[in-house]
Amino acid sequence: MRLSELLGAPVTTRSGASLGRLRDIRAEIHPRHVAITGIVVGQLGALERLGIGAPTTTVRIRTHDVIPWEQVVRADRRGIVVEDDAYPR
Amino acid sequence: MKRILSVALGILAAIGGFVDIGDIVFNVQAGSMFGYQLLWVVVIGVGGIMTYAEMCGRVAAVSERAVFDAVRERLGFGVGLVALVAGQFVNLMTLTAEIGGIALVLQLLSALPYRVLLVLAAVVLLLVLWLMSFQWIERVFGYCGLALLVFAVAAIKLQPDWGRVARGFVPSGGSGDLAVYLYFVVGLIGAAMVPYEVYFYSSGAVEERWTPKDLGTNRANVLIGYSLGGILSCALMICAGALLLPNGITAELLGTVALVAEVPLGQIGLLLALIGTLFAVSGAAIDSAFSGGYNVAQFFGWEWGRYRKNAGAPRFTIAWFVMLTVAFVIVMTGVDPILVTELSVIFSVVALPLTYIPILLVANDRAYMGRYANGRLSNVLGIFYLVVVLVIAAAAIPLLVLSNMGQG
Amino acid sequence: MKTSGPIDLALGLLDHQLVDSDNRRCGKVDDLEIEGLDTASPRLAAIIVGAPAWRGRGRVGRLAARLAGGRSTRVPWSEVEEIASDVQLRKPAGELRLDAAEERARRFIARLPGAER
Repeated sequence: MRLSELLGAPVTTRSGASLGRLRDIRAEIHPRHVAITGIVVGQLGALERLGIGAPTTTVRIRTHDVIPWEQVVRADRRGIVVEDDAYPR
Repeated sequence: MKRILSVALGILAAIGGFVDIGDIVFNVQAGSMFGYQLLWVVVIGVGGIMTYAEMCGRVAAVSERAVFDAVRERLGFGVGLVALVAGQFVNLMTLTAEIGGIALVLQLLSALPYRVLLVLAAVVLLLVLWLMSFQWIERVFGYCGLALLVFAVAAIKLQPDWGRVARGFVPSGGSGDLAVYLYFVVGLIGAAMVPYEVYFYSSGAVEERWTPKDLGTNRANVLIGYSLGGILSCALMICAGALLLPNGITAELLGTVALVAEVPLGQIGLLLALIGTLFAVSGAAIDSAFSGGYNVAQFFGWEWGRYRKNAGAPRFTIAWFVMLTVAFVIVMTGVDPILVTELSVIFSVVALPLTYIPILLVANDRAYMGRYANGRLSNVLGIFYLVVVLVIAAAAIPLLVLSNMGQG
Repeated sequence: MKTSGPIDLALGLLDHQLVDSDNRRCGKVDDLEIEGLDTASPRLAAIIVGAPAWRGRGRVGRLAARLAGGRSTRVPWSEVEEIASDVQLRKPAGELRLDAAEERARRFIARLPGAER
């Protein structure tokens, strides 16, 4: 899938609660590959998408809206579904 | 020693290149209508461009990137493309106004017909852009623009009421039509902080192959060069306030601008004023033509820069050439360059937030800046001016209408 | 300069400048291809460059893609050397088929006198 297809997709829990939209995808850079490690969701995620409070900035504003990939149940064109107890950290 | 000399020369080029036709028109008109009451606005505008130019220069020196990239990276493709189109539209208006301004000045120096001078101006601009290196262009047009210092001399020679001048640096409501007053507040800040200035400054720093070693030069250019350039803007307003306002002359013609140097200083004053204006406006035309190329190339990721040579950055070259050609066609239709100048400044004010927000964001980004990211002072000033820019962006079009374009 | 550490894809990779092994600018990251979304360890598969990739970028993107036309190019992630504020590639743009439009423009400009200035 393309990143552009995931950006802006709705993020819901298994039981249907809405957590907002996918703003960005957190990944980890390795020497030979880049591994997806989480998703950035919701209102504060929008700030992080602009670059406020993201891993590479100096601006210290709380943006902990990252859900670890382990808690993602399904991700496709229809949207992203996460575990009920998934909590943006 | 050599380093001090090169920094000093950079400062001189920055002073001479600071003023463009938008500054000339707005400062002189403001002076002719409100005397010295808007001097405080010039200080605010100069402070704004100083804050953000320093950031742009630092970003370019540290990351070797120009800031227009940040528009697409931060705001996304959609918003970024809107910013590009709007920016190119304003660039085009600016370039059209500058070409017309060159022809107007040449008309005062020679007696040749306006349209002939338009063709001459366009051809000379094309040759300069195509053949001269970036460094040579900036030096020649920057140094010759220093002739504008004649306005500082004229301002002193006109012996204005210095008490009233000093009071002009304190914000006041101004006497007269409030809508017109506020229109000039917006226009003066806009003319000082016009988007192509920062885009050009940052691309120019990459053209000059700046590295972190040049951060001192960056600060010197901005702190010394731009503040002295700001004094030139003030001098224009003081001259207009001392000479035009008492005599009820409004500055609708470029000739009136030259007049304010001729009255106190005679033929020499007139000649220096015209030469200074000619080079400042030509320099600004070159800067806005290049900006047209820079912005498109930087948005789409093409190779860009005069330092790559014409064949080394072919799509960039075609881009500035197309901009120059379209501007030439527009100005040949006979539009009034002064009118286009005023509209281009006011329209660009509306685009200022899209310009400045990404710059502030990227100057705080460690992937770009490493340990050279913004300190507290830059961020405090940056946010202050962002608020200023948001306010005037919202007020620009309403004031344009309410004040009847400054006519009242 | 990053060869390790966390990154946000839309912020730190998407729309960033691509630079080839000769240090020449050769386009932007117009989209990213992700594989393994149905597994526990998805990863980046490739960079997509070209106007058709803008179709996924909203209404403005679709319009721009239609006006621009052209083809898109897929650059496998193995061709990426390093991620800084731009993305550095291992090979020259020609070998990665990223230089078609630039070469066409260059052939046109090179015919004019002073093109090497």
